Amino acid sequence: MRAYLRHPFWQAVGLFVLAYLVIVFVIPMLPGSAMVPSSVVLQYMATVLVGILIWVSDDEARWTTFKEPLHEVLIQPRLKLVRNGLLAAVTLVVGCLTYSQVKASVAAPPNLRSIHPAPPSQITFRGKTITLVGLENPLRKQGELAPHVAEGRRIYYQNCVPCHGDHLDGQGHFASGFNPLPANFQDNGTIAQLTESFVFWRIAKGGPGLPREGTPWNSAMPAWEDFLTEDEIWSVVLFLYDQTGWKPRTWEVTAK
Amino acid sequence: MRGRGTGEGGRVMRASVAIAALFVFVFALPVPLPASPFPQDTSAGKAVYQKWCAGCHGDNGAGDGPGAKHMIPPPRDFTGAIYQIRSTPSGQLPTDADLLRSIDEGLFGTAMPGWKTRLSDRQRRDVLAYIKTFSSFFADTTQRPQPIAYGSAPGGGGGAEALKVGRQFYDSIGCRKCHGDQGRGDGPSAPTLKDDAGHPIFAANLHENWRFNGGGTVEDIYHRLRTGLDGTPMPSFSDLLEQKFLTDEQLWRVAQYVRSLSPQEPPVVRDVVHVPLAKRLPHSPDDSAWTAVDVYWFPLVGQIIHKERWFAPAVTGVWVKAVHTADSIALRVTWDDRSASPDTSWLPFIGRVLNTLDSDDSTREQPAPWPDQLAVQFPVTIPSGMERPYFLMGSAGAPVYQWRWSSSSRTAAVAGLARGIDRFDPLGAAAGIPTQAVYDHGQWRVVFTRALASADTASQLPFRSGRAIPVAFFAWDGSNGEHGTRMAISTWYFLALDEPVPARVFISPVLAMVLTLGLGMLVVWRAQQKTSYRKGRQ
Repeated sequence: MRAYLRHPFWQAVGLFVLAYLVIVFVIPMLPGSAMVPSSVVLQYMATVLVGILIWVSDDEARWTTFKEPLHEVLIQPRLKLVRNGLLAAVTLVVGCLTYSQVKASVAAPPNLRSIHPAPPSQITFRGKTITLVGLENPLRKQGELAPHVAEGRRIYYQNCVPCHGDHLDGQGHFASGFNPLPANFQDNGTIAQLTESFVFWRIAKGGPGLPREGTPWNSAMPAWEDFLTEDEIWSVVLFLYDQTGWKPRTWEVTAK
Repeated sequence: MRGRGTGEGGRVMRASVAIAALFVFVFALPVPLPASPFPQDTSAGKAVYQKWCAGCHGDNGAGDGPGAKHMIPPPRDFTGAIYQIRSTPSGQLPTDADLLRSIDEGLFGTAMPGWKTRLSDRQRRDVLAYIKTFSSFFADTTQRPQPIAYGSAPGGGGGAEALKVGRQFYDSIGCRKCHGDQGRGDGPSAPTLKDDAGHPIFAANLHENWRFNGGGTVEDIYHRLRTGLDGTPMPSFSDLLEQKFLTDEQLWRVAQYVRSLSPQEPPVVRDVVHVPLAKRLPHSPDDSAWTAVDVYWFPLVGQIIHKERWFAPAVTGVWVKAVHTADSIALRVTWDDRSASPDTSWLPFIGRVLNTLDSDDSTREQPAPWPDQLAVQFPVTIPSGMERPYFLMGSAGAPVYQWRWSSSSRTAAVAGLARGIDRFDPLGAAAGIPTQAVYDHGQWRVVFTRALASADTASQLPFRSGRAIPVAFFAWDGSNGEHGTRMAISTWYFLALDEPVPARVFISPVLAMVLTLGLGMLVVWRAQQKTSYRKGRQ
């Protein structure tokens, strides 16, 4: 046992196995971590292999001892079984890998989707033309905000919760049925990066109102102009920012 | 190492103890301190409650927030202090740990999410304290609710003998009255069920343990059997233990039997249905040929996109299998449904469902014996790019090709073009899809068959192998009040028909193997040559 532990070849094998175990089993257990995708595992393992080879070949004596077991397997008559076994195993693995590469398989077509497609400069809301460029939330100028936020809260819970969820994180109880998944407003990549006019547009026109790069045929977002008035939508927009604590992006004030 | 002195073994041992201690230290840190007594701040809890809970549970905790009328089961009314998920005997208050568990994990199969990752430890404990202020029952602190002393599950739970005992008592203690002979919630009493407030309630489908409100493990199930689900028709069976009707071990066997009805793991959605090539097409839903075919699960959710929306779908998903021959395809769709509708015994239940939910229509519809329906949807042709028709039944400009099956005419599905959710144009009797359907103890199994080629390639999708063919599913449970736009829907998934494997596919693997083997043998031969040469020189 001790001889094995000291032998550079078995040390290298041990290190290699250890690295694999750490990458595949330990890393996903770390808080805030996730499963390592197999392509990344392959990259890491290649790096580890190169590192190990550099280490064993760094010292002439170590390199010679490292090669010993390999050489033994190649020539020793008593290891004939191991030798033939290895040859057969490697050949089989290569065969299987090649077959899995060349056999035909059908994958779902790639879903190239623009998450925040460019909005139109103006939209028609229930027959009324609304210019989106430079548009601010009109409710922000109408006295107290709190009643509008409360109204937005009511509308959100009556209409939006099943998909966007109680926590506004896109994990409502119907979310798993849809692809793309409902937007996560807690994430810093959604409403935090948008103007209120953009959010108004997305709510008013929903999935069917998306341009082609937004894959409108997949989105389950309803066109809320069929259900809500202009002010109701603006109050929901207020509620989304109020509840998540994000600030909407604002239009640049152009100097006169 | 054996016999070679304990010194080294001891070192290894000490090292591993140190490492283990380090691990315990590192992982023990974030674990919350013992659960009771919680530091509780009801005024901080009120702020959390109003921000995150009141939308459904209401400002006064009466379960009447603005979201409440769009959910079945409805949100908990805290003023009555009646809780389903407890560790305490039926009729008693839950412990703080019980309430905290429901807050942390949520109630599976309902709209209540788990808040463990969404609120801090402190916030969840504060809100727990605040929720208790809604009922005076919690004010009496002299009566501390005591959990039932649960044993642990007896071994051998998965064995045939144990399951037989479990099944025997499943029948004799009356589970089948509501949950049904096969456990799909289709028992004779199922249509009569309502909770204490008069809301409709389904007997749980025991084949979907990932939707059990209090969790799906054997222990969770056993706890529910002991405590009952207060406020619902699900009773506690603890008294049967006291009456020695059955032993504790036998009740555990019931829990193990119930657990055995669901799959080992909740189903995982895979986007592409692999449709193998078969010699013969299985037309019957129970043809033995289906057993060898891979099954795919697709979740369905309420149609809440178009008026009139539907927030309480009964069909939670479909299990799909498909095979094809050189000229035809057979698609088997299996889904759980508590009744073979139309079934007039469910009319009062439909009435309760319609009364519980807010509707987009101002007039409330009267219950009627609607049939069960299922629709399978394809594009009219396989799209070449990524563009597809609108997943929710196409649109006026881009229709979809659908097969619509109804329990009122089970032997054929109507093929037609949907141009939006409210327009379906049948293609005529000649285009109809032959189906064979079985309703079996709370489950529909329907096989659709069609030729791969089609007479009208402009409107009836020609199936082709080697391509990803978009497919979507829609289901209506008539006995849940579903018809028209009130249904369960899915998004687009795909069918992929296998092609016969051409011989050329085998050439390159064989070539690669010959090459590898040759190279390997060459390496061995060279090494051996060299060694014998060296030996010869010595």
